[in-house]
Amino acid sequence: MKILVCLKQVPHQDARLDIDAAGTWIKEDNIKFEINSYDTYALEEALRIKDAGEAEVVVTSIGPDRVTQALRTALGMGADRAVHVKDAEIDGSDALGVAKVLAAVAKEESPDLVLMGLMSDDSNASAVGPMIAELMGVPNASSVMKVELADGKVTCERELEGGALEVVELQTPCVLAVQSGLNQVRYASLKGIMAAKKKPIDVKGAGDIGLSGQVGAGAAKTTIDKIYPPPKGEGAELIEGSTGEVVEKLVGKIKELGLL
Amino acid sequence: MDFTFDEDALLFQETVRDFLGNECTPEHVRARWDVGAAHDPALWNRLAELGIPGLLVPEAHGGLGLDERTSVLLFEEFGRAALPEPVIATVAAGAPALREIGGALADEWLPKLAAGEAIVAVGHEASPFVSDADVADLLLLPVDDAIHAVRPADCELVFEPSNDPSRRLFSVGFDPGATPRAAVAEGARAVAGDLLVRGSLAAAAELLGATDRMIELSAEYTGQRHQFGKPIGSFQAVKHQLADCKVKLEYARPVVHRAAHSVATAHPDRALHVSMAKVAAGDAATFTARRALQVHGAIGYTWEQDLHLWMRRAWSLEQAYGKSARHRQNVESWILAEDARLGPGATFRAA
Repeated sequence: MKILVCLKQVPHQDARLDIDAAGTWIKEDNIKFEINSYDTYALEEALRIKDAGEAEVVVTSIGPDRVTQALRTALGMGADRAVHVKDAEIDGSDALGVAKVLAAVAKEESPDLVLMGLMSDDSNASAVGPMIAELMGVPNASSVMKVELADGKVTCERELEGGALEVVELQTPCVLAVQSGLNQVRYASLKGIMAAKKKPIDVKGAGDIGLSGQVGAGAAKTTIDKIYPPPKGEGAELIEGSTGEVVEKLVGKIKELGLL
Repeated sequence: MDFTFDEDALLFQETVRDFLGNECTPEHVRARWDVGAAHDPALWNRLAELGIPGLLVPEAHGGLGLDERTSVLLFEEFGRAALPEPVIATVAAGAPALREIGGALADEWLPKLAAGEAIVAVGHEASPFVSDADVADLLLLPVDDAIHAVRPADCELVFEPSNDPSRRLFSVGFDPGATPRAAVAEGARAVAGDLLVRGSLAAAAELLGATDRMIELSAEYTGQRHQFGKPIGSFQAVKHQLADCKVKLEYARPVVHRAAHSVATAHPDRALHVSMAKVAAGDAATFTARRALQVHGAIGYTWEQDLHLWMRRAWSLEQAYGKSARHRQNVESWILAEDARLGPGATFRAA
């Protein structure tokens, strides 16, 4: 079995995020990056399948040189090899452009399973997984909480609203976008990190995967007009005093508003 | 000469920082104090899965075969997390000592140590006490001109109170005549000397991490606490104090890194370089502990505030593997020696 895991490198959760001069993205200089947290669960699930039997785990990611570190971390955790799609032509791609690139990699690799996180920590679009499945012409399940493989089929538990779960069965190959909390993600061992140096990272450009002129800012159907912090709200009132006074004032306020 | 850390070392550091950030929280440290046992076997097993106990164990014995140029960064992380595990004795001092002793003792214990199945406690001339002796599977104890490999069953431990519950100290009584001597004479002196040097270096690196964390905690607190309508950290009387701490830390860091390089490359002056490192890191940590407490104000004295977890580490590590005064004396002896090689021409001379 071959599993392709799609990873996105995103700003570190502790990074200070400042909006860039154009107002359409954040300043990426001098901030740390990490693997998108949702994708780490997808990688862990792939590694568990590998640990349980015969499987090759290939990781792929799109982005500049810094993405190599995310791929090395994934190799250190136990992935077998990596495909790094690095090409300035891809910059500015929207979700569909990203999905085209990942689908092209997936078509070349012919995996039985494509795993990825439900969404990215930075864009929160939840769009790429279903798009890859559509472009590949294979089934897809999102918000996956459990994965079981048997006889060329994948049985998944999907999380629904209100805490309910749905069980679906998919034929392989298929694309699964996993929910966080699916498993406990392992750390890369130091021995694994050392071994990762010897594992191959295949670097490809847009032309290598047959997408020259089809991705990037020029081909994007969705563009970011503006990002901005939410405006500060008004009308908040700080109630001060001793505990008894605060309670008394709060109850008075609630009564005044007709909430009691 | 390139002193920059390689990509692997930096990735190891980041991995260990992430791991300890999740697994060795202040709540974990406090929980270990509450049960009166700093060492947590479950956490030790997780550290073994990462490969920490075998960092300096040769690959032939199941370790990673790394040296102090990498481990120094990880010990900084142990200090940053106030990790209450016997990493200095087992990983930094015990493993290389066993490697140097060699023979059957190394063949028996190094694989266990690398696998996280054994903990080593070490004695040395700079302290009458042995830390974490109660959880050790093997004690390496220098007496006169020999290193004795002592099993816990063959010694008597008496707990000695310490201001840092993460560093449990014991007086160890044993009969040197009835325990095997792992090394004798010149070999034993060399092992004992290196053991102290390596322990001092690891303590210095932990002090850097603890200092960094105390500065972070203080910057965070003084950014949140307001007086006169502003965060207190915006007042010069406060922020300059923390800036002074940061300067101390950043001046100490390269001294510690240089000492790590000297130990890893068996530089003939490594003991001196480690003494310089221990003094610089100890000064930075104790200075920062005082300033951090001052900028925290009264809340810094409370048990509930986390600051004291690192202050205690700073105070105890400054004393561990030779107090600053002892190391300062080593540096002084070197500077005042008649044949002292001082000045820019001697600073970076080759070994």
